[in-house]
Amino acid sequence: MAENYEKIRDEIFNLDQTIDPKIDSQEEHSVEAPRYGCALAGVYGTVLGLKNAVPILHSGAGCGVGNLFGTLYAGGESCGVNEGGTATPCSCLVEEHVILGGEEKLDNLIDSTIKLFNSNFYVVISGCVPSLIGDDVDSVVENYQSEHPIIHVNAPGFKAHSLEGYNLFWDAVIESDLLEQQPVEKGTINILGVVPYNHVFWKGDLYELKKLFASIGVKANVIFADGDGLQNIRDIPKAEYNIVLNPWVGVRAAERLHEKFGTPFITFPGIPVGAKQTSSLLYRVAEKLSLDPDTVNTFITQKEEWFYRFAEYPGDALILARPNQYFAVVADSAYAISYTKFLTNEIGYLPDIVQITDNPPVEVRQKIIDEINNSLESTIKPDIVFEADTYKIRNNLNNRPFAFLLSSSLEQPTALEEWGACHVSASFPIYGSSVLVNHYGGYYGGLTLLEDVVTTFVGPL
Amino acid sequence: MTKAKQIAIYGKGGIGKSTTTSNLSAALSDLGYSVMQVGCDPKNDSTTTLRKGKTIPTVLDTIRNKTGKLDNIVYEGYNGIHCVEAGGPEPGVGCAGRGIIAAIELLDSNGIIDDYDPDIIIYDVLGDVVCGGFAMPIRKGVAQQVYTVTSSDYMAIYAANNLFKGILKYSNKGGALLGGVIGNSIKNSTQEAMITDFTQQTDSEVISFVPRSPTVTRCELDGVTTIEGAPDSAQADVYRELAERVIKNENKLKPRPFYGDDLSEWASVWINKLLLNEKVERDNIQADGSGI
Repeated sequence: MAENYEKIRDEIFNLDQTIDPKIDSQEEHSVEAPRYGCALAGVYGTVLGLKNAVPILHSGAGCGVGNLFGTLYAGGESCGVNEGGTATPCSCLVEEHVILGGEEKLDNLIDSTIKLFNSNFYVVISGCVPSLIGDDVDSVVENYQSEHPIIHVNAPGFKAHSLEGYNLFWDAVIESDLLEQQPVEKGTINILGVVPYNHVFWKGDLYELKKLFASIGVKANVIFADGDGLQNIRDIPKAEYNIVLNPWVGVRAAERLHEKFGTPFITFPGIPVGAKQTSSLLYRVAEKLSLDPDTVNTFITQKEEWFYRFAEYPGDALILARPNQYFAVVADSAYAISYTKFLTNEIGYLPDIVQITDNPPVEVRQKIIDEINNSLESTIKPDIVFEADTYKIRNNLNNRPFAFLLSSSLEQPTALEEWGACHVSASFPIYGSSVLVNHYGGYYGGLTLLEDVVTTFVGPL
Repeated sequence: MTKAKQIAIYGKGGIGKSTTTSNLSAALSDLGYSVMQVGCDPKNDSTTTLRKGKTIPTVLDTIRNKTGKLDNIVYEGYNGIHCVEAGGPEPGVGCAGRGIIAAIELLDSNGIIDDYDPDIIIYDVLGDVVCGGFAMPIRKGVAQQVYTVTSSDYMAIYAANNLFKGILKYSNKGGALLGGVIGNSIKNSTQEAMITDFTQQTDSEVISFVPRSPTVTRCELDGVTTIEGAPDSAQADVYRELAERVIKNENKLKPRPFYGDDLSEWASVWINKLLLNEKVERDNIQADGSGI
């Protein structure tokens, strides 16, 4: 049965055809269980990352419920809190609205949503149906804009995938009247490129980053999972710098904010994991903001001492039980870069294969490859593959030497049996664990990842 | 599904599709056939001349009004012709293409066509085959034959050519094939020659030419077909002859449409001939420039 299945699948999906990872966009091919959702999913998750923001889905009913399972549960078993999941207002479009238009229903829905939620920020997210039939959603939304902060994000699922959905959200925010030019506040930054839910550890990572920056005297507006969402958005033009923690997601937002408000930006390839990456980020930001070097040095030295002292505790497990092991990473570009660097440069493990699952734009792919290869303190360089298809991802893991696998929870149940690998659920989707504050970003997070890696092979008694 | 002869009539907007269709229905009805005419245009004005200029509630009104009642969908027109209008959204709103699909599905799945059991069903479909919805009547299981109404106007022929592309797309999937081309608003032999040449170039066939006639316009203004309003006119005879030909026509042609710039290149030669022809008529001069 299994053999037959593989044969049929190979025929259907032309798996014998070689796909050049640098030039092929995976969306041109059929993709099995991709590790992202659609554009609407990305915007929906992003809006739910903002406290008090109410998403209003202008779509079929399935888009909301589908993303409860496909985005929210997949993002560390979250329900999306007050405004998420089955509580999300949705115009639930049916054939009548396809033919006759759905503007009137949306109008009623916005009106009742405002009355029921009584919140301070609403985001109408248009899915496939209104985009195909050409509903004039902007004009419906405009009627409410004088009274309420409300914006429209046109995010038909077919337009892009969920990480690009994050970019679409920012396009709409930056084009709206929510952001106003205001005096720059010295020592403040915005953090971009961390996508709620799709970056499963977003809540903990952003919490950690905010604390770290505060320690060197920088006020970081992490926007999501911290304080009032609308206020955070309104504060964006105040920042002295925008910091993008992603090789491509959020970069467009930083560029547009630069055009509109003159805010300069730097990009860092991912959320920093462990001492080396975190110190590097802090130094770069400190330099850009012209912070007092002594204060920054003192803090970093103290944190690094703490980090390396703690990292020694599992030393026997790492050096005696599992020394110099090969590892594999399957994650979106930002997490993949950070994990690969951490395991190679901090633990001394050997990178075997890195599979990047977020289908990044073709033009940034070589940069991602270079970023990984040029930053590894190892003579062993990994095979770097851009792949979104779960079936192919699993095939690519066959017959390789790796003993550790950092990937989604999809591989967790069979990792040991299929590949002889100890598994850590480290990237989207993670259905197998509840993720609240757990994170791998920063000094603290790096140690948490170390803990999780070691925990996979020690014990049990 | 009904065993009736089902045909779909397409053509550029304003070219005389509904006029031709209604007259064809009226003529067929006079010949003793039970006819159902289904207007597939959001403007829902296909059957007005069969109903003394009055419009009827549409299939999609049942969706709009949420009554779900399909009892009052079929209205009796001239000589007992069953008139149906698919209807559609307001201009600039929603998706008319999906409207056509939904309306035809509603008619079919609710057994409405079977209840009336007509001998002939004529779908009068608007303009270009702009999307999948407007190709619905061509698809498998709906019409068997497609006719296109065209004048010698370039854009009308362009629309006919596009229709041919649509027919070709569904031709291998059991879809409707071409019955023929109906040349409309014909004023002179050059126009006839142009349309004939178009059909020869595209492996299609002219089924009939309908001359331009003020009788048609006058009857339309009175809210009736020419068959009803001017039954003794020469124009009514033209429509009766068209009806006879349609009934006998077993054509199932697979057209070979022009692609790319080929159509405009072909047309430019004919347009020059037509313009010269007009000039000759208007200025009363001969083609070689000499007066009479």
